[in-house]
Amino acid sequence: MGFPHKPHPRETTVLSEHFGDASTRTYAGAVKQGAYQALAKARAMTPAALTDEVKNSGLRGRGGAGFPTGLKWSFMPKDKTKTHYLCVNADESEPGTFKDREIMRWTPHALLEGTLIAMHAIQADVGYIYIRGEFTEPWNVMEKALADATAAGVVGTAKIVLHRGAGAYICGEETALMNSLEGKRGNPRIKPPFPAAFGVFGMPTTINNVETLAAVPPIVARGAAWYKSLCLSNPKSTGTKLFSVCGHVARPGNYELTMGFPLKDLVFELAGGIAGGRALKACIPGGSSVPILNREETESCLLDYEGCVEQGTMLGSGGVIVFDETADMVYQIMRLARFYAHESCAQCTQCREGTAWTVKILERILAGSGKMSDLDLLLDLSDNMTGKTICVLSDSCAAPVVSGIKKFRGEFEDYIVGRKRRPMVA
Amino acid sequence: MSSVTPLPSGAAYEPVFTGRALEQLQQILPRYPVKAGALLPALWLVQQARGFISDQNMVEVAELLGLTPAYVRGVVTFYTMYHLHPVGRNFVQVCTTSPCNLCGAEGVVEAFLKHTGARELGSTSPDGRWTISEVECLGACGFATPVMINDDFVEHVTPEQVPEIVARYR
Amino acid sequence: MPDELVNLTIDGTAVSVPKGTLVIEAAKQAGVLVPHYCYHPGLPVAGVCRMCLVEIEKTPKLQIACATQAAEGMVVHTQSKQAKSGRMGVLELLLINHPLDCPICDQAGECELQDFTFQEGRAKTRYSPDYAKRFNPVEDFGPDVLYVPNRCILCTRCVRFMEEVVKEPVLNVSERGDRAFIGVHPEARLDHPWAGNVVDLCPVGSLLSKDFLHKARAWELDKTASICPSCSQGCNVSIDTRDEVVVRLRPRPNLDVNRFFMCDHGRANYRWMNRGDRIEAPLIRQPTGAYRAVDWDEALDRVAEIVRGAGGTAVAFASPRASTEALFLARALLAGFEWTGAYQLVMGDTAPLAGVPNLALRAERAPNGTGADLLGYSRDYAAAAAIAKTAGLVLVLDDPEVQLAPAGPLVYIGTVLPEDAQAAVRAADVVLPTTNCAEEEGTFVNRDGRVQRYWQARAAPGMAQPAWWVLGEVLARLGRGSQLTSAADAFERLAGAVPAFAGMRYATVGARGQNVKTAAGAVA
Repeated sequence: MGFPHKPHPRETTVLSEHFGDASTRTYAGAVKQGAYQALAKARAMTPAALTDEVKNSGLRGRGGAGFPTGLKWSFMPKDKTKTHYLCVNADESEPGTFKDREIMRWTPHALLEGTLIAMHAIQADVGYIYIRGEFTEPWNVMEKALADATAAGVVGTAKIVLHRGAGAYICGEETALMNSLEGKRGNPRIKPPFPAAFGVFGMPTTINNVETLAAVPPIVARGAAWYKSLCLSNPKSTGTKLFSVCGHVARPGNYELTMGFPLKDLVFELAGGIAGGRALKACIPGGSSVPILNREETESCLLDYEGCVEQGTMLGSGGVIVFDETADMVYQIMRLARFYAHESCAQCTQCREGTAWTVKILERILAGSGKMSDLDLLLDLSDNMTGKTICVLSDSCAAPVVSGIKKFRGEFEDYIVGRKRRPMVA
Repeated sequence: MSSVTPLPSGAAYEPVFTGRALEQLQQILPRYPVKAGALLPALWLVQQARGFISDQNMVEVAELLGLTPAYVRGVVTFYTMYHLHPVGRNFVQVCTTSPCNLCGAEGVVEAFLKHTGARELGSTSPDGRWTISEVECLGACGFATPVMINDDFVEHVTPEQVPEIVARYR
Repeated sequence: MPDELVNLTIDGTAVSVPKGTLVIEAAKQAGVLVPHYCYHPGLPVAGVCRMCLVEIEKTPKLQIACATQAAEGMVVHTQSKQAKSGRMGVLELLLINHPLDCPICDQAGECELQDFTFQEGRAKTRYSPDYAKRFNPVEDFGPDVLYVPNRCILCTRCVRFMEEVVKEPVLNVSERGDRAFIGVHPEARLDHPWAGNVVDLCPVGSLLSKDFLHKARAWELDKTASICPSCSQGCNVSIDTRDEVVVRLRPRPNLDVNRFFMCDHGRANYRWMNRGDRIEAPLIRQPTGAYRAVDWDEALDRVAEIVRGAGGTAVAFASPRASTEALFLARALLAGFEWTGAYQLVMGDTAPLAGVPNLALRAERAPNGTGADLLGYSRDYAAAAAIAKTAGLVLVLDDPEVQLAPAGPLVYIGTVLPEDAQAAVRAADVVLPTTNCAEEEGTFVNRDGRVQRYWQARAAPGMAQPAWWVLGEVLARLGRGSQLTSAADAFERLAGAVPAFAGMRYATVGARGQNVKTAAGAVA
């Protein structure tokens, strides 16, 4: 949809077809557009059959990890001896990403329907929708939609609870989300045990992202084969994805594209390219936690899980951040490091101390007191922060630092040798 | 550190969870299999009622949910949206993380500080009406710069629009 | 059902461990100590410090040994380049904000941050002086505990202890990221009866005991295994002394009694062991009423003479803090009399440690009430006192509180000479100086019937001798047994004579303890 702009002809609007249509928020309006028919169909299937259908569709987690959804559902115990839970991850906080907010505030019933279908597949008694505290409008829309759907009877015996977060990016990590639901500090858990065995309140749990669940009703309605056919590049990446384009582009917004779409076309054609005819300097395709691409890589990158890996980055959440030639890469990387330092939960030594130290080194470089050895220090520190912690927040801080130094070393050196100066914002 | 929010001397503590607030909490409790699950919702109710969460409020919530005050304090201090001290009537959150930063978010912060009289981030303006804060990604990067004023989510804010926004909320 | 065993290799050494054993524990069997902070066998696993990173073949990333279960065929390398580099990274990050004030930090010498940094850390800092260290002021958490946030490495052992073992979460982690610190709620202090354990658990000098603050350096201390004498639980402790002065008690691990913990009451109750107002030499009462100091031979001869010359009833007032050996020999000495033994127990409040079964500060505030019971002593002090008025012989074993004015002879074996003119000792015919439980070897029997050994931690003052020796000497003079040359000897004689202790030796009791036998012959 390029929402809030008009849909571009090269978009494939499955999830975003009704973005901007206020009637879709209402139960009656949504039903008129076909809502809850897939749910009826799903409820007539066995959980196993339903799970297989989603497996066959090739749907993968849209929150950032890209784990095959049907496979994740299949980890839940088949014999039900305990309470099963579904957690909907609406904690969207990854810089550059703003798709789940749109799904909730424009198509709340699509999310509810996907939630109910998933609950049937995993035999969940309770579904918690964990909405970040700052999303006041999506909360109000979801609350009304849930009340309407309940009154209309479609929720049935399932229990759906909205749970409000209170300002913590880390609660988007699935085990931290569970801890937060339990009324604890949002600390990620060590695994094993895995959520399907021991999840929220110690019970079998599946956690799915909003966009992932919103894709489920279309899959059930139109079939796995249809979803699988939506694929431009690699058959392991199927369906559509909402790409949140932001930064230095003329038309920022959410664009829904078939998997495998060229990043270059998204930025320059659909999103209108860069204002003032300026050149592209860098692009982060998957939210700030994935490596930064330079111009050449951006122009060669295909937007699916494998395509991004080929370019040395990841699809992640699909938050496309565009940096033009005026962007100060050193400053922006420092600002990203500050984000991670602020959001670190404080459990792991490398993350707690390493994110803060990363910020300090970058601030010193920006202030003109940096040394060449600082770059080696940053790379060594980032290496210590990668692959050694409970969750990947630490790795996520390292990614822009490492890729930034690798691809924009000149900008760092400019500050270090004094070719460039910048007044620090307090 | 462990700073106490003292009661004015001689003041008796007025519980939050009476009447309507208590009703709301009682509706929330059955949604979780253990009482502790209602902690975040309970803290939101406190903040909605009092504007912030005091140490005494933490004791009250702890007692209601079978937790210790220290435990509740650990949770409150983890989540940045809970205030430990009173804030201005309008609590402003401006996102300055990189995507918004690229689109001039820091200028929006400057504009708010200038036009509200709140001289620095985090402190309240002399007339008690404004507290300006910089926050991390608000999840509206394509609508830069997003600003929250209390529960209102305002999109596409530019420095030029700030005086009008400030006047509107005053 | 027997535990299934798994075989794995750690640093080239093959070990076999029960299924489910953590790699960090399996490593101990291979003689390998994997550096760690947040892990503790008495606490639930947290996996947060990341210090115990090890390399496991066929696993791409380093794993934390404290949260990885040993698996069949696993090959672990703790000293690989990758593993050491990972751990060095953790140490560097722990030190960047650490004040490095070892010269004024109590933990120095027993600090795991010092130890592992010396072993595997960086030699030079890359942080100072370019970056400022985090600073927060010291906090007073409660009756005995100080918190020094600057030294804290956020291992959360203290938080987990209060939450999972004490079951009262009065400590929290406050805030987030590198702003995090350990906090209390202002309206609740850290005053739980078992809170002092957080000081032991803290791997660095962040949580400190006010009682021990700046008292001694760890390397100046001698450490002796002992049993806490403050109640009948029998927690295993270590008595730490500096130049023969007891400066600290700390828990000693015993999985069957106190796991890794001791209560604050016992912890604080050691000053009496250093009392200076001790009986220094054996004393014999003169006809004038004054006491004359004599040597041991003369004193023991006099006691033997008294015993020989006495008959009829005899009463022994014993302290429930006396060793089992001493209690037995006192009774043995009075064989041939119609004897009554009695002891007084000071009672107090109980304070259980909720998360550990059968562990509490017990109401009986003495370590050997059960020993006394097994040897036939009773708590009916009043009855014994009545008999004592006209008894043929009264023997007092380290009970300074007892007030008597017996008609017959009184022999007082004790540690202190109370001021009270009514105190029994003032009526004693012979006063014999003895050691307290920090100054001798012996055993106590705890409330569960567990015999536990304690060792000598400080030198006996003056001419004081252990009570088992004193009584053994008297018995030898009476022709009733050879001289006892060691506490072990005394215990053997006891085991030979008392069915509940049949077959026991110091070697079988060891450092972990051994249960007495019940009447049916089964172990208590």
